[in-house]
Amino acid sequence: MIRVENISKKLGEFCLKDVSLDINDGEYLMVLGPTGAGKTILLETIAGIYPPDKGKVYLYDVDITGLPPRERNIGMVYQDYMLFPHLNVEKNIKFGLRSKKYTKIETSQKVSKLADLLGVSHLLNRYPGTLSGGEQQRIAIARALIMEPEVLLLDEPLSALDSETRTKLREELRRIHSLTRTTMIHVTHSFDEAFLLGNQMAIMNHGEIVQVGEPSEVFRKPNCKFAAEFLGVSNVFRGESIVENDIAYINMNGLRFASATAREGVVYASIRPEDILVSVKPVESSARNSFRGKIQGISNTGIVVRITIDVGIPLIVAITRRSFMDMSLIKGMEVFVTFKAMDVHVF
Amino acid sequence: MLNKLRESKFKIITISFGLVLAVFIMALLIGVVTHTTPQALIASLFSGEIQFAIRLSLITSVISTTLCIIVSVPAAYALARYDFRGKTLLNTILDMPLALPPLVAGVGLLILFGTTSFGKGLAEAGIQFVFTPQGIIIAQFFVNMPFMFRVLKATFQGINPRYEYVAQTLGCTDAGAFWRVTLPMSKNGLVAGSIITWCRGIGEFGAALMIAGATRMQTETLPISLYLNMSCGELPLAIASATILIVISLISLFVFEKFSGSARVF
Repeated sequence: MIRVENISKKLGEFCLKDVSLDINDGEYLMVLGPTGAGKTILLETIAGIYPPDKGKVYLYDVDITGLPPRERNIGMVYQDYMLFPHLNVEKNIKFGLRSKKYTKIETSQKVSKLADLLGVSHLLNRYPGTLSGGEQQRIAIARALIMEPEVLLLDEPLSALDSETRTKLREELRRIHSLTRTTMIHVTHSFDEAFLLGNQMAIMNHGEIVQVGEPSEVFRKPNCKFAAEFLGVSNVFRGESIVENDIAYINMNGLRFASATAREGVVYASIRPEDILVSVKPVESSARNSFRGKIQGISNTGIVVRITIDVGIPLIVAITRRSFMDMSLIKGMEVFVTFKAMDVHVF
Repeated sequence: MLNKLRESKFKIITISFGLVLAVFIMALLIGVVTHTTPQALIASLFSGEIQFAIRLSLITSVISTTLCIIVSVPAAYALARYDFRGKTLLNTILDMPLALPPLVAGVGLLILFGTTSFGKGLAEAGIQFVFTPQGIIIAQFFVNMPFMFRVLKATFQGINPRYEYVAQTLGCTDAGAFWRVTLPMSKNGLVAGSIITWCRGIGEFGAALMIAGATRMQTETLPISLYLNMSCGELPLAIASATILIVISLISLFVFEKFSGSARVF
């Protein structure tokens, strides 16, 4: 529905390099990346604030690359709200309606509908400077939604809020999305937000989109070292892979991991800590990877216990508190680790 | 204990410097205002000549300030927002009248409007600048434009361009976003800039003297009146002009501080 094709843009220290995205109607795309990855320029280029140096933007297969922002019908919400300080809340919300030919009655109906949706009806006569961050962001969202945009762009909308307000507004965004089915592109550096809101996820770094997919897919199978590290996958190793019978055998530090991803040469392999099984005795299973190691460290963070086990290289394993107690694991103990070839992701 | 003593001595010395300066300034101002008797001052204020000077000063300074606003708003916006070739050079040139002695500016204006075909053409079309009140206006405009320009540029630079971006996604053209968002948000900067430009316009002497001359009851603004009356010994009239100029300066300074202080509210 909205398609970005090979967009490049250089703006000061930030840049976009050959970015392509294809977003379906009603989708909630999360763009995840560290500070300075170019996420904001991506949104501003889609909104039409700057012309791209190269590439095209399509809305419903119509090339809108050359259109000014006002003719695109794409809404924008920034991290620091950008409410017009000289206008009260009501005038802020209805700011955009002047460009549409509505009667006074239609306008006030729309304002009260949006104010109700966002729960800000009691604030209509206040000025932005007197409101809390959460209230201001609700008004900014109402101001964008009143235009009935084809796409709503959200630039770190929750980052400036305290954690309680953030949780509330996050649920609000989910509700608004399911209610209006507006296509959303939401930029964030918070993984939780991305996982809880998005039905698609794009990972960005240094102005490039490194991976796109469903959040669970991206989370389980990061396709590069950056994505893996950024998503907090702790076991990332570099080794040489040889493929035999569709199974890749990766050699590193004298160890050999089997992976279901058949790729040869120098590769990175990642294993999620929760996909590794720990046992006191060797286990008989169909899993191809089984090693003996020594417990190097235990970090007890509540429900999940993370254990570092040295099997030649340090592996981080996450187990439940219950099984940790059952096995009565202690530092220096010899244990066995087992994981499936399918859970070794190679990139 | 000793340390504390030394510190407080230093403090006392620095504060004394400030106080000496303040006394010097106040002595000067009070000296002017109290030089003649209050009766003589009031009589002079209501004399035909001073009344004329007040009126001419007000009219010329209001017109020149308005011209400064009209020209500086777009120019300051361009230099605050856009990147283009020659921007730095343009910026320097626009600031130049600030460093130029007003007398030199006046000579330049006199040459441009009095001797070139451009000036002669304007004069033939009925727009005469040399030795006229219009000359005073153009002199005030030329000398004080950089003040307006700089205050406005700083104001526009202080406003996040994202306000305009949002306005553009809400159906505004770039000019519309400026008109509906940036300009109203610049209100304090506009007031502060206008006050300082107006106040300096009232006091403008050198450049105006060069192009408009100092003709009694014709191009006689308050500073020109002060100069004319000083040079022919009419002290009460000179003091009257000086007193009005002092009062205007004090009020303007107060208003400017009030608005420029809160110019960064947003």
